[in-house]
Amino acid sequence: METTLYLARRLLQALAVILIVTVVVFCLLHALPGGPARGILGPQATAQQIAAFNHEQGLDRPLPVQYVYYLRTLLHGDLGTSYTLNDAVSRLIEQRLPKTLVLTVLSALAGLAPAIPLGMWQAVRRNKPADHVVTALGFVAYSTPVYFLGLLLILVFTQTLRWFPSQAPQGDTLSQVFADPVALVLPVLTGAASMVAVFSRYMRAATLENLAEDYVRTARAGGSRPAAILWKHVFRNSLTPVIAMLGYYVPVLFGGALVVEQLFNYPGMGLLFWSAAQSSDYPVLLGCVLVISVATVIGTLLADVVQRIVDPRVKAERT
Amino acid sequence: MTAVLRASSALEPVAGYRLPLRRFAHNRPAVAGLAVVVLFLLFCFVGPLIHPTDQTHTDLTQVNLAPGGARLLGTDAVGHDEFGRLMYGGKVSLLVGLASGVLATVVGTVWGAVAGYAGGWLDAVMMRIVDAGIAIPALFILLVVSAITTPDTLGLIVVLGLVSWLVPSRLVRAETLTLKSRDYVLTLRAIGGTHGRAIGRHILPNSVSTIVVAATFQVADAILLVAYVSYLGLGVQPPSTDWGGMLSAGLTAAYSGRWWLIVPPGLAIILVVCAFNAIGDGLRDAFDVRGRG
Amino acid sequence: MTVLSIENLAVTFSTDTGDVPAVRDVSLRVRPGETLALVGESGSGKSTVALAATGLLAQNARVSGRISVDGTEVVGADESALARLRGRTVSMVFQEPATALDPLSRVGAQIAEVVRNHRRVSRAEAARAAVELLRRVGVAEPERRASAFPFQLSGGQRQRVVIAMAIANSPGLLIADEPTTALDVTVQAEILDLLRASAADSGTGVLLVTHNMGVVADFADRVAVMLEGEVVETGPVEEVLLRPGHEYTRHLLAAVPRLTVAEPERAKYAEKPERAGSAKEPAGSAPVVELRDVSVRFGRGHRTVKALTDVSLTVRAGETVGLVGESASGKSTAARVALGLVRPDSGSVTLFGSDLARTRGRPRRSLLSGVGVVLQDPVASLDARMSVAECVAEPLRVHQRGMSAPQRRARVAEALELVRLSDGLAKRGPRELSGGQRQRVSLARALVLQPRLLVADEPTSALDVSVQRTVLEVIAELQGELGFACLFVSHDLAVVQEFAQRVVVLRAGAVEEEGPTMTTLLRPETEYTRRLIAAVPVPDPVLQRRRRSALAAEATT
Repeated sequence: METTLYLARRLLQALAVILIVTVVVFCLLHALPGGPARGILGPQATAQQIAAFNHEQGLDRPLPVQYVYYLRTLLHGDLGTSYTLNDAVSRLIEQRLPKTLVLTVLSALAGLAPAIPLGMWQAVRRNKPADHVVTALGFVAYSTPVYFLGLLLILVFTQTLRWFPSQAPQGDTLSQVFADPVALVLPVLTGAASMVAVFSRYMRAATLENLAEDYVRTARAGGSRPAAILWKHVFRNSLTPVIAMLGYYVPVLFGGALVVEQLFNYPGMGLLFWSAAQSSDYPVLLGCVLVISVATVIGTLLADVVQRIVDPRVKAERT
Repeated sequence: MTAVLRASSALEPVAGYRLPLRRFAHNRPAVAGLAVVVLFLLFCFVGPLIHPTDQTHTDLTQVNLAPGGARLLGTDAVGHDEFGRLMYGGKVSLLVGLASGVLATVVGTVWGAVAGYAGGWLDAVMMRIVDAGIAIPALFILLVVSAITTPDTLGLIVVLGLVSWLVPSRLVRAETLTLKSRDYVLTLRAIGGTHGRAIGRHILPNSVSTIVVAATFQVADAILLVAYVSYLGLGVQPPSTDWGGMLSAGLTAAYSGRWWLIVPPGLAIILVVCAFNAIGDGLRDAFDVRGRG
Repeated sequence: MTVLSIENLAVTFSTDTGDVPAVRDVSLRVRPGETLALVGESGSGKSTVALAATGLLAQNARVSGRISVDGTEVVGADESALARLRGRTVSMVFQEPATALDPLSRVGAQIAEVVRNHRRVSRAEAARAAVELLRRVGVAEPERRASAFPFQLSGGQRQRVVIAMAIANSPGLLIADEPTTALDVTVQAEILDLLRASAADSGTGVLLVTHNMGVVADFADRVAVMLEGEVVETGPVEEVLLRPGHEYTRHLLAAVPRLTVAEPERAKYAEKPERAGSAKEPAGSAPVVELRDVSVRFGRGHRTVKALTDVSLTVRAGETVGLVGESASGKSTAARVALGLVRPDSGSVTLFGSDLARTRGRPRRSLLSGVGVVLQDPVASLDARMSVAECVAEPLRVHQRGMSAPQRRARVAEALELVRLSDGLAKRGPRELSGGQRQRVSLARALVLQPRLLVADEPTSALDVSVQRTVLEVIAELQGELGFACLFVSHDLAVVQEFAQRVVVLRAGAVEEEGPTMTTLLRPETEYTRRLIAAVPVPDPVLQRRRRSALAAEATT
């Protein structure tokens, strides 16, 4: 019962957030040079064409009315038409989004898998030389722009060692992408690096905090061995706040994917977005922003739900 | 344990501000970070006076020179002295990073404090707006902006500030929520003290440490963001440049082995961002506030 | 034969700012089946001794001397030797049931873990043992409760779970560190009964660490009194509590507020005394604050919690009304309603004759200038960024803005003098003061405007008894001098009995009964109040034993 209510509440919140995102995108649409008509008809449209289009689309009506029209077209899955690729934006995104999701999820897993044990290990050996070294490396990884790191990886592993190709797997379908796993290594590593830094840090802090909790003392007083306490109790308790952070980290992951896709020429949504920006293909740009934001909201929601499953205590409100 | 608690409070007769300062001074990474920041500020703002170079005109007779001799770090593809350019670009990077980081903190502080103190539906609406802002990845927004317009330095500061105030607003809201239910605030309200006094005399002064820590991390992130901006095509226009611009301009050169065009600006970014993060860590531990892990 | 033998124990903590000695030259013995109470005020080192006995001290502790638990040396033992000892030979019960259990593990699993730490049994057997242990510690429906998470249990139930973990392997020694301090008195009585029974069952020796002399009288066979890290007096409980030998013990016992109780055998036949004769009834004077049929709900929808239901109470000029009740009884909420901090969902609040809900802006603020407030937490009550003088001057800045700085300084000095604080403290920060000093600063702040009403919400419950005594004396004395009315919220019946002329007993958000203090607390009308009073242990072992057996006899009939 509590869980159902919580889910309903979170879902409503997520919907409210998505609605606000549509308002932001709507405002961006109207901030375009020449307004939405120019944005949709393209740079070659004449003034008459634009006036006719404006009237036809109700663009001469008050803004709130227009917003309702805009929402209605969105609900029909209509994101407009790309004027460089001559295709429906929704279709373009449909093709690219799965590939971006694959890259993002792989990067997240590749980042989390080492980060969590690393953070715990650091907490256990806190303030010893090894802890300091890992912390320092984490600082460096966090402070390196993704494109600079990607470039260095390419220079080392492609130019010098020739272990991996500098180009991500090409192809329209996911199976084509998975057909060339070696080519995925560098893009995934590039996306995962800062994640290792950030999450090992969180895990270290959370573990330290939990090691100081009363329940650890209770377990010790009951004769439990330190390793058992660490894995049975501290691990799970430290993981909960880290999962919550994962929710906040989703937008950063997508931002990273944008750069990684451009750098390794990976045909996902980031690359689509990138090339649309170069050619001022506004319908594609705004469509991508909308979809990526909705994906972020869903990702955050998922992280919340997972956290809720791991931690049964009632959390009325997130702050 | 009570003994320890009492002992620590008994040994705490150092007045409010001096103790954090001392704790900060004992934090070696933080002090090193402070030194790095000061050195870079000197390098970028005083350096050009000692080592003046021409960064506005191209010199096609001096292109792509390797480091050596008078050219400490060689020259780039249009003949600018790379060492001087590091100072020149650093000015923009540091200035924009600092200014937009501070701007983001100020906007976030006001927003978070109002939401937290007001509570109720206003808080709910304001926080959903923050959620929405966070849901749109900053790099995507920046790229859209770059497709629409090319801002000048001031515009750049505003744009960067406006995409990054969200996290500090959440921190400050959480802090305000805690502070407004503190007993001394309740006491003040019970005897008829105004909201203005509660905010001005108690809540804001007590959130200063949280805000300062948030601002430090914000500046670190902003400098990193500035480095992305040129890469996204939103950066300052040539002949002006920043470290990110130098880095992205040197990308292709790197494939042909001209490492001196990317390693110095890359290292500069990493060093400065690390330094601000270390300072933030040190301040957080010194003030004993909760903030970014 | 001893289960615990401590000889010349010394513990020093090394901190950033230097070494802090916590325990010096302590020697103690606990025999099987015996309960030794280790009493003292905060900072006396009593908890440090308890933790040292299980080797659970923080890493910055340096220990010297000898501690032998059932023949095994603890000082200097390695972690795995200690782990073999803990939970089997020696167990611990801690103060805070809210944090003592892993929030994400089911309680049955946490008990089973202790079982499996020391016995080679299968998971299923350990789980069955856990259910059995839950039954033994008096948890209803143990099969179902075993799969509950700690947050689904009440504080008392959690403490039972902790005790179940402690007795899982029938240890020879049980160390209980303030096991009932965080609990309500009625729950405290149950937990003490449970500990007593569990120890008696298996002849377990108990080291009971507590600050509560009533608990000592109720439970202990022998007592050791600690002061600043040293044991100053040891002896049988009757000796130490009734005929204390050491100066400090006498001082400590004199400071303990004593609940005057009717002798148990006579209580049942007691007649209602004349109401008028028991306390002065200031019925003639006008009410200073009046709550009429106040209801407060928190939260919305199905999670709504009714904090107060139709609560009416009146405080008249010059009198002190004690508002008592257990946790979640709504006593603090009622105080906050009276202060205008919580708006009632229904009912009215009249302050100095004006309806608080209908008064806004300037009139409301001038109304509120007649109120002084002291809240419970000595740390949170004062803004650490202000000096003591600034804290005390705040009401003046709010209500007398025209006042000049020298005038203000004079008033602050006056207020500090009233609460017996030296003017030298005025420039210090709250961090530099002790808990008692801070509460007196709060009091000075509350009184600087010479209020007609003082609302004090558990003003002394975070303080040691001797400090509590001083603060209460100051309040009482000033009330005599300045004549303000006082709404005094407390969970401690003995304090209220000493301090208030009238008492209002709250239970689950409603007024259970009210009347003149002595009458109500000696001859309660309702069963609930009677049980509440019966649960309070008095610091007289002979009387307490008689009350307990009377209570037990009553329970069996």
